[in-house]
Amino acid sequence: MEWVETTGKSVEEATEVALEQLGVLEGEAELQVLEEPRQGMFGRVRGSARVKARIRPTSPPPKQEKRRRGKKAGGSGSGGSGSAGNGSGGRDSSSSESSGDDSSSETPRSGGRGSRRSSKDSGSSRSSQGSGGRRERREDREPMPEAEQRSVGEGFLNGYLEAIGYEAEVSSSLDDEGILLFQIDGEGLGLIIGPGLNTLDSLQEICRNAIQRQADGREYGKVVVDVAGVRADRSAALEEFVKAEADKVLETGDEAVFEVMSRSDRKIVHDVVTELDGLETASVGEDPRRRVVLKRS
Amino acid sequence: MSDDQATHAVAVLEHMTRSLVDNPDEVSVEVADLGDRLELNVSVADGDMGRVIGKRGRMANAIRVVTRAAAVRDGVEVDIEFVD
Repeated sequence: MEWVETTGKSVEEATEVALEQLGVLEGEAELQVLEEPRQGMFGRVRGSARVKARIRPTSPPPKQEKRRRGKKAGGSGSGGSGSAGNGSGGRDSSSSESSGDDSSSETPRSGGRGSRRSSKDSGSSRSSQGSGGRRERREDREPMPEAEQRSVGEGFLNGYLEAIGYEAEVSSSLDDEGILLFQIDGEGLGLIIGPGLNTLDSLQEICRNAIQRQADGREYGKVVVDVAGVRADRSAALEEFVKAEADKVLETGDEAVFEVMSRSDRKIVHDVVTELDGLETASVGEDPRRRVVLKRS
Repeated sequence: MSDDQATHAVAVLEHMTRSLVDNPDEVSVEVADLGDRLELNVSVADGDMGRVIGKRGRMANAIRVVTRAAAVRDGVEVDIEFVD
């Protein structure tokens, strides 16, 4: 099997070029990321991504094993249907999921397989390997299913709680907007929330990244980590505050400049104001000192 | 590892870092006593540093925030450095 080496602005881009050269779908190729683009000063991207790929030569694990793994992942969360996770992260899926003409990346796991296969069959006839085998490999590159994301996230948070020495329960759920919510419940957990949810926001970011890493470049949903419902309480309070400020702005015509807020808080403000007539919002300043301005439209 | 003064902070730091890298076995944390505070020096495998630092150092900062909070439980102040 011959390797091809490609470059691109991102790993996804380099991967796409490589797959195009090989004429296979991602699941049928063996991919190695040789180099990721480096983050330069001030967030500029330095250098390019390099990827090495070839048509996957090895035979896949038997189907049986695949099933068992799926079941196990499902048991640790609840439900465990892969399709829910699929819908949530559709935005990321197209680049990493499909190598070319395959536009079926939004289709649920089981249904999608058929359509992918057909596109593969029509797209290439280059190799003598068993097609069933390659199909299973394709499956391995599926977007990380919801149950797996949940178990990775719960595992991460449980490990964290153990390390910091707190007794607390972690539960998770996926709402219909594709938000994966991890709820930590217990007593005396103020330390892991921090001033202005600072610590919790950081923990959430690390949790999201841990899930993303273990998803191996595949799609992942939005991740929220909450402790004893503080996020929900706090956003309800923020919504009330914004509504009160909105009334004042409508009345006086003066702009309201909110204090510096995190991205998620700013989104709450924007969302509240979107629902109101005659008002608009804008964000000014650079993170971490970005704030929302509310004015008449 | 002389981490008996910052047990929780070190455990949290190790756990988080291991969760983010490709080579969790190569994550190690060394503790240096700076007198008024401790310095936690994190080293990871060569290719993993980028993951731990993140875009614009976001991940590194998040790790610092969470580790410092854990250090409150140990009653110490800590600096977290990522060493090449």
